[in-house]
Amino acid sequence: MSFAERMLKIDRRIIFLVIGLCTLFPLLYPVGLPIKISPEVRGVYDYIESLPEGSVFLLSLDFDPASKPELYPQSISLLRHAFRKNLRVIAMTLWVSGTGMADQVITQVAREMGKESGKDYVFLGWSPGGSAVIINMGQDLYGAFPADYNGKPTKGLPVLQGITNLRDVNYAVSLGAGNPGVEAWYVFGKDKYKFELGGGCTGVMAPGLYPLLRSGQINGLIGGLRGAAEYETLIGQKGRAIAGMDAQSATHLAIIVLVIMCNLFYFSLRKQAKQQGHSGA
Amino acid sequence: MPVETIIGAWVATGLTLFIFSFLYKDNPLFKLAENLYVGVSVGYTIVKTYDTVIVHLIWKPIVENGEWALLIPVAIGTLMLTRYVPKAAWLSRYAFAFIVGVGSGLAIPRVISSYILKQIEDTVRPLMVMVPGEGLTFTMNLLNPASSLNTIIILIGVSSVLFYFFFSVEHTGPGKAVARTGILFLMIAFGAAFGYTVMARMSLLIGRLTDLIEFTDPSYGRPSLWLLGLTILTLVVMGRRRPQGEPPEPH
Amino acid sequence: MIFLRRQVPLLITLITGLVFAAQYYVPHPASEQMLTSVTKWLQIIGGFALVLGVSSLFHVHAMKIRRKEAGWGYSFVLYVSMLGTIAVGLWSNGKEAIDGTMTAFGWIYNFMMVPLQGTMFAILAFFIASAAYRSFRARSREAAVLLIAAVIVMMGRVPLGEYLIPLSGDLSQWILNVLNASVRRAILIGVSLGTVALSIKIIFGMERSYLGGGKE
Repeated sequence: MSFAERMLKIDRRIIFLVIGLCTLFPLLYPVGLPIKISPEVRGVYDYIESLPEGSVFLLSLDFDPASKPELYPQSISLLRHAFRKNLRVIAMTLWVSGTGMADQVITQVAREMGKESGKDYVFLGWSPGGSAVIINMGQDLYGAFPADYNGKPTKGLPVLQGITNLRDVNYAVSLGAGNPGVEAWYVFGKDKYKFELGGGCTGVMAPGLYPLLRSGQINGLIGGLRGAAEYETLIGQKGRAIAGMDAQSATHLAIIVLVIMCNLFYFSLRKQAKQQGHSGA
Repeated sequence: MPVETIIGAWVATGLTLFIFSFLYKDNPLFKLAENLYVGVSVGYTIVKTYDTVIVHLIWKPIVENGEWALLIPVAIGTLMLTRYVPKAAWLSRYAFAFIVGVGSGLAIPRVISSYILKQIEDTVRPLMVMVPGEGLTFTMNLLNPASSLNTIIILIGVSSVLFYFFFSVEHTGPGKAVARTGILFLMIAFGAAFGYTVMARMSLLIGRLTDLIEFTDPSYGRPSLWLLGLTILTLVVMGRRRPQGEPPEPH
Repeated sequence: MIFLRRQVPLLITLITGLVFAAQYYVPHPASEQMLTSVTKWLQIIGGFALVLGVSSLFHVHAMKIRRKEAGWGYSFVLYVSMLGTIAVGLWSNGKEAIDGTMTAFGWIYNFMMVPLQGTMFAILAFFIASAAYRSFRARSREAAVLLIAAVIVMMGRVPLGEYLIPLSGDLSQWILNVLNASVRRAILIGVSLGTVALSIKIIFGMERSYLGGGKE
C-alpha cells in the first residue's frame, strides 16, 4: 500500500482529534482577529437603530437547544440592542423545546439592563400550531396568547398598550433554526400584516434565505455564529460569538487543509494508476 | 454558587462526555445518554403541551371566559386520537381532512404571493437604470447586489436552473448549453451550502466545548477534568471486557 | 358507511380548502373573524397533534420492555426519564423558572436536555470533517467547481480567512448574494409551484394519502 493510499484510509479518529484540538486551543488561547461587518447584519442593526423609543419590537426565538451555540448569542445581542434603544419588546417562541432557553435569555438580559416584565417587555411563551399562531397573532394577539409565560393575562399589560395584532408591530425578527422560522414569518405574517421583518438563522439555513434578502422580503440577515459575532461587534459588547470566532477560523482552516490533502493524495494515486496502466500496456 | 448549579454542572458535563464518547466507538454510555435524551425531550414536550394547550388555551378560556366554541377544536383533536382505537380509527380522518384542507387553503395564496410572484418580480428587473444627470446607465460593480451585471447573472442563473429542473428531456444543442450553465450554478450554490454547513457544525462544537471549558472552573469542582478521566477509564475497562470474537469497529 | 368513511372526509377537505384559499382575497369582517377563530382552533389541534406524534414512542418502548428484547434496559431508561420529567414538570406547574428562579423542571431542562441535545448535534462537526477528507475530491469539472466554491466560502466567512486572503470576504459575499441566491430562488420557485400543485390536488381529492390506509 502506497503512502497516499495509507493516508486516504487513515483512522477517522485521528481526524476527530485534529478537529477537537483545533477547536479547543483557540478557545483557551484566543487571538482576537478583527471581524468585518457584512451588509446583511448591518441591515438588522441599522433598522433597530432607526426605531424611535417606545417602538414595538417582536423577537421570535424559533430554535431549540441543538442550535443554541449559534442563535443564543444572536438573541442576547438583539435584546441588548433593543433594550438599550428603549423599545417595547415582545418575545415568544414557536419551538416547544426552545421555551426554557427563550425565557432564560430574556430574563437574563432584562435583569442586566434593568427592565421590568409587563412594563418594558413581555415573554409570551410557546404555542403550538406554527404558521397558525402567526396568522392568529396577525388577527388578534390576545387570542393567540391569552396569557404570558408567567400566566398573567396579556390584556391590560402596559407593554402591550395600543397593540392589537401584528400590524402594530414596528419590527419583527425571527431567529429560526428551521420551520417554522424566518420564512413562515414572511409567508404567514409580513405578507398580509405588513410589518418590517428581519431574520437570524443557523449557518445551515443562511444560504437559503438570500433570495428573500435580495427581494427585500427581509431587510437583514444574521447568519450563524459569524453573524452573531458581527452583531456583538456592532453593539460593542463582546460575548460568546466573538470568543468563538478564532476557533471557527482554526477549524475552517483545518478542514480546508484536510480537503487539499485528500485531493493531493487522490491525484497522486490517479497518476500512479495511469502510469501503471501505460507500463502494463 | 448554589449547590443545584454545581450538581447540574456535573450532570451536564457527564452527559456531554457520554455523547462525545461515541467518537471513539459506539458504547453503552452513549446509548444511555441517547435514550435519556429522547425520554427527557418527550417528557418535556408533553408537560409544555399540557400547560399551554390544556391549561391556558382550553381550560381557562372556557371556564373563566365561557368561550364554549373552543370545544370544537377539542372535539377535532379528540377525533385525531381515535387512531389508537382500531374500530373507530376512521373517525380520525375527519380531523386530518380538516387540518389538511385548511392548511392547503391557507398555503395556496400565500405561497403564490410570497415565493412565486415576489421572487419572479425581483428576478425580472430593468437591466439598465436611470441615473439623474447621467441618463441610462449599466452598472458593472459585482459587489453591489443590485448592479446591472448582477441582475443579468441572476436572470441567467434562475432561468438556467429552472430549465435544468423542468425540462427533463435529453438536453441537446442550445438546450445542452443552458442545462450545463444551470449545473454550474447549482454546483457553486452547493459549494456555498457546504461551506455554511461546515460553519454551522463547527459553531455547535465550539458551543459545547465552551461549556466544558467553563466547567473546568474550581467553583464547580472541575467536573470536566474529573469526568473526562472517568469516562476514558470506563471506556478502557469496557473495551478490555469485550467478549472475544466480536467484530472490531469499522474505521 | 363508505360515504361516511371516505366521501365525508374528502368533502371536508374540499370545502375547507376552497373557503380558506378564497378567504385571502375577501377581507370582509366576517371572513376575517372566521380566519381568527379557525387559526385559534389550529393552535389547539396542534397540541393534540404533538401528543399524537410523540405517543407512538410509548407503545414501541413498552413492547420492548414487556418482551425483554435486546436493549430493553435502555428503553427502561427512556421510560423512567420520560415519566420522571413529566412528574417533575407537573409539580413545577410546567414552568422552567418562576420570577427568574429555576424550578426542578428548569433544572432538568438546563442541565440534561440542553447539553444532551446540543452535544448530539455537535458531534456532527467531527463527522462532516471526516466526510470532507474522505469524499470531497475533484473527480470531475463540476466537483472541482463545488470544491472551489466551498473553500472560498469557508475562507471568506471567518476572520482568519479574510486576514490571509482579503479578497475571499468579498468573493464569498458575491457568491452568496448573487450566484447562490439565483439558484436558491430557482429552487424556491420550483418547490413553491410543487406545493401549490399538491395543495390543489389535495383539495380536489386527487391526493388522498393523508387519510391513511385501512378499511374503506
